[in-house]
Amino acid sequence: MEHLNTEILARLVDQTPQPEEAAHIAECEACSAELEAIRSQTDALRSLPEIRPPPQGDWHGLEARLRSEGLMNDPGRFRRIGLAQTPGWMRAAAAAVLFLSGAGAGALLTSPEAPESLGDLAMPSSAATFATSTSVEAAATAVRVAEQNYVAAITRYQQLLISESGVEAGSDPMSRMAALEYLATVSQAAVRQAPGDPYLNGFLVSVLGEREATAQLVASRSNWY
Amino acid sequence: MKEISTGPSESQLIRLAADGDARAIRQLYDRYSPRVYAVVRRIAGDDDLAQDYAQEAWIRAIRALPTFRGDARFSTWLHRIAVNAALQALRKSETRKKREGPVPEQVPVAPRGGDALLQQRLERALDELPYGMRRVLILHDVEGYTHEEIGDTLGVTSGTSKSQLFKARAKMRDMLTALDGAAQESGAEAWSI
Repeated sequence: MEHLNTEILARLVDQTPQPEEAAHIAECEACSAELEAIRSQTDALRSLPEIRPPPQGDWHGLEARLRSEGLMNDPGRFRRIGLAQTPGWMRAAAAAVLFLSGAGAGALLTSPEAPESLGDLAMPSSAATFATSTSVEAAATAVRVAEQNYVAAITRYQQLLISESGVEAGSDPMSRMAALEYLATVSQAAVRQAPGDPYLNGFLVSVLGEREATAQLVASRSNWY
Repeated sequence: MKEISTGPSESQLIRLAADGDARAIRQLYDRYSPRVYAVVRRIAGDDDLAQDYAQEAWIRAIRALPTFRGDARFSTWLHRIAVNAALQALRKSETRKKREGPVPEQVPVAPRGGDALLQQRLERALDELPYGMRRVLILHDVEGYTHEEIGDTLGVTSGTSKSQLFKARAKMRDMLTALDGAAQESGAEAWSI
């Protein structure tokens, strides 16, 4: 009988041989050795270790694509911290304060020496918390601190508005208009410093939109008077 | 692919990711990207292609997350998506390669020991297998799919899957023998099975 071809031997790795095939393998040293070699090859394939990915993977590429396809949103910061009902313009105000003053603004707003009125909201020089981060861990810590300060800033901002206007924050269009004017000024300044920054540009557009809407509301109320 | 135990935290993570929560998606990615990469890399046979295939697999998975009902483990579900994404991308790539002509052979990295040499030979032979044989051999002998599962995945009969597998094993045997012969001629360490 001729030698069994390699494909037949490959089949016999995990299938029972026909009687004549079994008889041949029992007598033929070459075919028996070849079958054993293919079995070892199959075992080796099953034992191959997982291929290690590149160290950083390609998260950034994936993230960009997920966002472009609308499959990923921002972390939902306000929902997570229970401030989903906070007016958008107030969140924007806190963001602007923190942007302009770095992490120090949050500390200022929540410190014992916190300003007593909106007019006292001086812009301290940048705390440069992020710029001085030298490791991923340090940067992550800075982000967490900034987030806490961000929340504190919103809360304090709301308190200041209530104390100044005597009404719940955001319910008085004139106060809101004044705050938006202030925000528009500082966000325009921020965009001048970093004209290509998409976040800042988006923020500015949002503020200008809110200002326009509030201006219309104020105008309509003026008509009532 | 080994399973990771699922618990409430992972279920919650999946729900959040299905809603597009960036942090949840990132956590799933950090947890499972090595396995996704491993399976698509083996199918791709090339690092650059593997990056593309892995990204495609993740896009498909995130897109399909709202349909994930937890009937299977998430890792198993994701593995299937990765395999399908890679196979589909490979099919396109093979079609393109046929149009563009042969690609220059990559220079193998020098192995450091017996295990590394064995793995390198196997990986190289796998990478050089014809597309049809490679996908069946990887799914059956490396990933542990049954012929029925391969049939479902590839849209072929289990008989076709078996036939391709035996051809692939035989071809691998020939290629490994040839690689050993070439190594002996050049005076390098050979690996004989």
